[in-house]
Amino acid sequence: MTAALEVRGLTTRFETRKGPVTAVNDVSFSVQPGRIMGLVGESGSGKSVTGFSVLGLIDEPGRVTGGQVLVQGTDLRALPPDALRRMRGSKVSMVFQDPMMTLNPVLRVGDQMAMAVRVHEKMSKRAAWDRARQALETVGIPAPAERLQAYPHQLSGGMRQRVAIAMALLHRPAVIIADEPTTALDVSIQGQILAEVRRLADETGTAIVWVTHDLAVISSLADDISVMYAGRIVESGTAEQVIGSPRHPYTRGLIDSVPSLHEPGAKLPQIPGATPQLANLPSGCPFRPRCAFATEACASPPSPARGAWAPRPVPSSAGGDMTDPLLKIDTVSKRFSRKPGLLGRGIDRITGRSSESTVHALTDVSLEVTRGEVLGIVGESGCGKSTLGRIVAGIYAPTEGAVTLDGTPVARGSDHGIEKLTTRVQMIHQDPFASLNPRMKVGETIAEGPRVHRIVEPARLRARVAELLEQVGLEGAYADRLPHQFSGGQRQRIAIARALAMEPELLVLDEAVASLDVSIQAQVLNLFIDLRRELDLTALFISHDLSVVRHVCDRVAIMYLGRVVELTSAARLYARPMHPYTEALFASVPTLGTGRAAFHPIKGEIPSPLNPPKGCAFHPRCPLAGPRCRIEVPRLAAPETGHSVACHLHDGGTGAAEAAA
Amino acid sequence: MSDTASMAQATLPLPPTPETETRAQRLRNFWADYRRSPVAVASLVVILLLAFVSFGAPLVSPQDPYDMAALDWMDAFLHPGETGSGGYTHLLGTDNAGRDMLSAIFYGLRTSFVIGLSAGALALFTGICVGLTAAYFGGRVESLLMRIVDLQLSMPAILLALVLVAMLGQGVGQIILALVVAQYAYFARTTHGAATVERSKDYIEAARSTPLPTRRVLFRHLLPNVMPPLIVVATVQVASAIALEATLSFLGVGLPLTEPSLGSLISNGFKYIHSDRYWLSIYPGIFLMITVVAINLVGDQVRSVLDPRRQR
Amino acid sequence: MLGYLARRLAQAVVVVFAMSIIVFVGVYAIGNPIDVLIDPGATQEIRAKLIAQYGLDQPLWRQYFTFLANVAQGDLGTSMVYNIPVVDLVFSRLPATLELVFVSVCIATFIGIPAGLYAGYKPGSLAARAIMALSVLGFSVPTFWIGMLLIMAFAVNLGWLPSGGRGDVGSLFGIPTSLATADGWSHVIMPALNLSLFKMGLLIRLTRAGMVEAMQTDYVKFARAQGLPDRQIVFNHVLRNISIPIVTVFGLELGSTLAFAVVTESVFTWPGVGKLIIDSILQLDRPVMVTYLVLVVILFVLINLVVDLVYARLDPRVRLKGKA
Repeated sequence: MTAALEVRGLTTRFETRKGPVTAVNDVSFSVQPGRIMGLVGESGSGKSVTGFSVLGLIDEPGRVTGGQVLVQGTDLRALPPDALRRMRGSKVSMVFQDPMMTLNPVLRVGDQMAMAVRVHEKMSKRAAWDRARQALETVGIPAPAERLQAYPHQLSGGMRQRVAIAMALLHRPAVIIADEPTTALDVSIQGQILAEVRRLADETGTAIVWVTHDLAVISSLADDISVMYAGRIVESGTAEQVIGSPRHPYTRGLIDSVPSLHEPGAKLPQIPGATPQLANLPSGCPFRPRCAFATEACASPPSPARGAWAPRPVPSSAGGDMTDPLLKIDTVSKRFSRKPGLLGRGIDRITGRSSESTVHALTDVSLEVTRGEVLGIVGESGCGKSTLGRIVAGIYAPTEGAVTLDGTPVARGSDHGIEKLTTRVQMIHQDPFASLNPRMKVGETIAEGPRVHRIVEPARLRARVAELLEQVGLEGAYADRLPHQFSGGQRQRIAIARALAMEPELLVLDEAVASLDVSIQAQVLNLFIDLRRELDLTALFISHDLSVVRHVCDRVAIMYLGRVVELTSAARLYARPMHPYTEALFASVPTLGTGRAAFHPIKGEIPSPLNPPKGCAFHPRCPLAGPRCRIEVPRLAAPETGHSVACHLHDGGTGAAEAAA
Repeated sequence: MSDTASMAQATLPLPPTPETETRAQRLRNFWADYRRSPVAVASLVVILLLAFVSFGAPLVSPQDPYDMAALDWMDAFLHPGETGSGGYTHLLGTDNAGRDMLSAIFYGLRTSFVIGLSAGALALFTGICVGLTAAYFGGRVESLLMRIVDLQLSMPAILLALVLVAMLGQGVGQIILALVVAQYAYFARTTHGAATVERSKDYIEAARSTPLPTRRVLFRHLLPNVMPPLIVVATVQVASAIALEATLSFLGVGLPLTEPSLGSLISNGFKYIHSDRYWLSIYPGIFLMITVVAINLVGDQVRSVLDPRRQR
Repeated sequence: MLGYLARRLAQAVVVVFAMSIIVFVGVYAIGNPIDVLIDPGATQEIRAKLIAQYGLDQPLWRQYFTFLANVAQGDLGTSMVYNIPVVDLVFSRLPATLELVFVSVCIATFIGIPAGLYAGYKPGSLAARAIMALSVLGFSVPTFWIGMLLIMAFAVNLGWLPSGGRGDVGSLFGIPTSLATADGWSHVIMPALNLSLFKMGLLIRLTRAGMVEAMQTDYVKFARAQGLPDRQIVFNHVLRNISIPIVTVFGLELGSTLAFAVVTESVFTWPGVGKLIIDSILQLDRPVMVTYLVLVVILFVLINLVVDLVYARLDPRVRLKGKA
């Protein structure tokens, strides 16, 4: 059997100001029909460029400079431009990362799909629309005929990605290159897509190259895995081989960096340093400077390294005492409404319609955090976790309810304007590239708050900044540099230093490690664990990543559409979740080390917080919902001590039994 | 096994130390990018030359065109290259009053630069104030201010300036005021646009949640980050102020010929367009064109250098 | 959609009213037209009588309300210089201006947009560079000077075209216009070209920028990955997207072309409203100024309204918001 795709010695270069950069360096792999190959790497590893190079879609100043790309035996690189174009979409197609951007916003889905059909097959418009409808059916889109009439912005992200996959499948290509196709999606939606893709590969015999940074996803989906580092494939094999017994130290390091494989609270083994800049690669093996096993031989071009490297779990000292809570969130609700102007109101009165719209971001959320405790807040997009973080940090004012720290309010004000009253709560944002003022030296950024609030006497400020920088693992001398000179992980350390400079009693971390590469994420998590121990920090840790939360949090609150649906200690939650949503969430998240798994994704879309379902917000997606769930909002109650849940299953039944009887 | 792990911890090296970058070095980088376009470099040189001859007009020009006593009717309409009663060659000829065209152009250029630069600077200042206020306070203040600005933007600047100059009367001060009123809206729009993008960024949120005082957030955090697009708009607006002033003077509502700007010189020459005295209108026009185009070309290059999509 | 339209219309009315007040107050702050109109030697009695006749002795707000009341009856006053009703005066001049603007907008569009598209599709090519260089000249060199050069070249030196004025008026589909006669065209072509240059430069830059940006988007890459040929990508995917900003600017520029006609008409002594307003400003003919400015405001507001509606038609995202 010929391989669906065979890549030999593929090399892609970019001309930059600092000279040519080899983004893809002599890459070879092959994929058999019906198999899924994971191409794994961190940012800058060249994995996405490899994908684009296969289709010959590299833009200036980049150029594929060497190698062969054989699709069912035909070398794409040897084809004239027009013949190559005709191969695209028919023999080899692609799915992109961001489903929001890949469809043309001003054309109907059906028109776009029909265009893609007709470019390779002569047929009438009507027949093309029919084909498009069938394609949507294959990827499991309900009511496909209506979807064809829709514009992309009327579809959810998951739905758009399904449309993109359907378009890639239109002509039954031999190969699909999928570039991080689920990265931008929520876990429950990701689960749906993964299950769908696995089914499609098995049924259609299409070979899939799945480009991703997420080891857990790929370990549960792929048949084969290739790991990329600095433009080269450093290890490849079947999924079991690569995940189960990795040979390359980088692969091992990468796998070891994943929190779910470790005791909660343990320090993670980390790959030191940052991913290298391609323009400035070390000679010899590019991983050499970060490799624990590097020998002199590594200074010459790569050779497979062997050796054992396993973590030693560090016992955790975490665990809050049940004393008076430091932070009290008391029945907080937050609504964002878009009110029409004076004129709009007049017209509303005339037309009898309301142009006011309200987003119910939070509804009746009550939580307490005791001193020294780390409370995790978990949920998918639209659950209100970030809004809650911002209210605690005094950036938003709650519409109802109050947030107090040691009994005094955090901020004062209403929806129209807010004044933060305390410096004792500080926040760390998700994106370290956006959270530092690009025009301010990092030392100034760190020193600014303490100077304004006279937390440190001016004469000692410089020394204090240096001290803080060292505390977060940077050099004190870095104070005079601008943010753009630092990598993502370093910037996140600086953001942490800025927060610590205010000597806070409570830290709010909003997806603080979500945008970092796995190896860097492990470093920052370790820093957090260390700091927590040293400074006895109390924190609100907001994340969508269940394994990260399990690793660093004492207690966890699960949120769904603005409400807390379950709240208990991390250990209990992960051992025995009670709410059907929590259970389903766990089931839909791929975990590393369980091998290729059958997915049990949650069905359906996440409802819009503009118009949340009545009764229990989860009931439309809940397999166990009964009549009562559709009417009555379940309260958060504790059927067992220390384990609260908002579900009718645990407070007297859903009414399903009665209805059946 | 455990040893290797702890070793990795102990030897945690920091990523390669980045080179320190000072303000001077940033300027050098800017220049390195800027000078990739020879046209832009040439434009900059031209502007500097023009600025030199105009601000140094009393030193470099053969005659003081303001000095009525120095003018001689006998010298009227001398062709370029002819020698007049003053004993020197009029390189660009003379006008109907016997004024040396080259001198008149140098002085006129000075007036144009003064008007262009001061109108630009004042409009920049006003626009920043309006734009920042709107962006920071949001809500009603924002929608009111920006509605006014948008309304003004939908009106062509030439019309506004025309009416304003008619209202205010002739004179350098009046023209500058009219130009500022006509042009501040561009700056306000740009500032507001950039500031609304910046204010939603996390670093502003971080500053507010520290909490830092409003004034500090506005001027230390927001303003420096909205400056790059403003610099570009400022260049373009200086050029357009110069062109606008010339147009107004040409239409007869700007500056009188006793205070020659390039526009009034051209306007004067326009009367003789049907005779062969082309030099009265062509030469000041060429200087005007070179000035305006050069400034625009510099602005174009600055725009592409400062373009965030180009930054690495 | 209906609510959206109603809202926009209501806004438009408010804007026109607000602007009429500003215009009125602004114009009436200028000098004293009596000084211009009356021989300085006239007796105090004649002065007083004229002042009363023009209502200039009334407080400003009362003058405004008189003005409004008159406007409601279709009376916008009488020109102080020509001594005929302003409405007649303006409308007798308007066709000439509309003619000029129409021709120049056509020139700008049919040359500017294709040139911009090409320059954006092949940004590095020699032709693209030449197009861009011309566009810089087009929108930066003052209109009046280019007009003057055109006159010098084609009227004075070559003698091919008349240097100014409007040509013979013929009839086209029952509309009297100089575009119906060869003489009319020989008169209109130079001023129209002059007026179009600025707009053309702008359209070229805008179209090019939109094209360059669109070609780098994910949806274009995705279309490429499906094997769509470039021609289809440009015409079916890109053009629809970049037409949105182009239409917006096009509309706004339509208004500014009307205003810029002031300059071109002065250079080419074109008997349109632009020439009229300049003369009125110089002679302080207040009723004409007010009428012209209010007319321009109404035109602007109308154009803005149409642009927004077209925008909503072109961009499905806006359409949905309008409904909500």
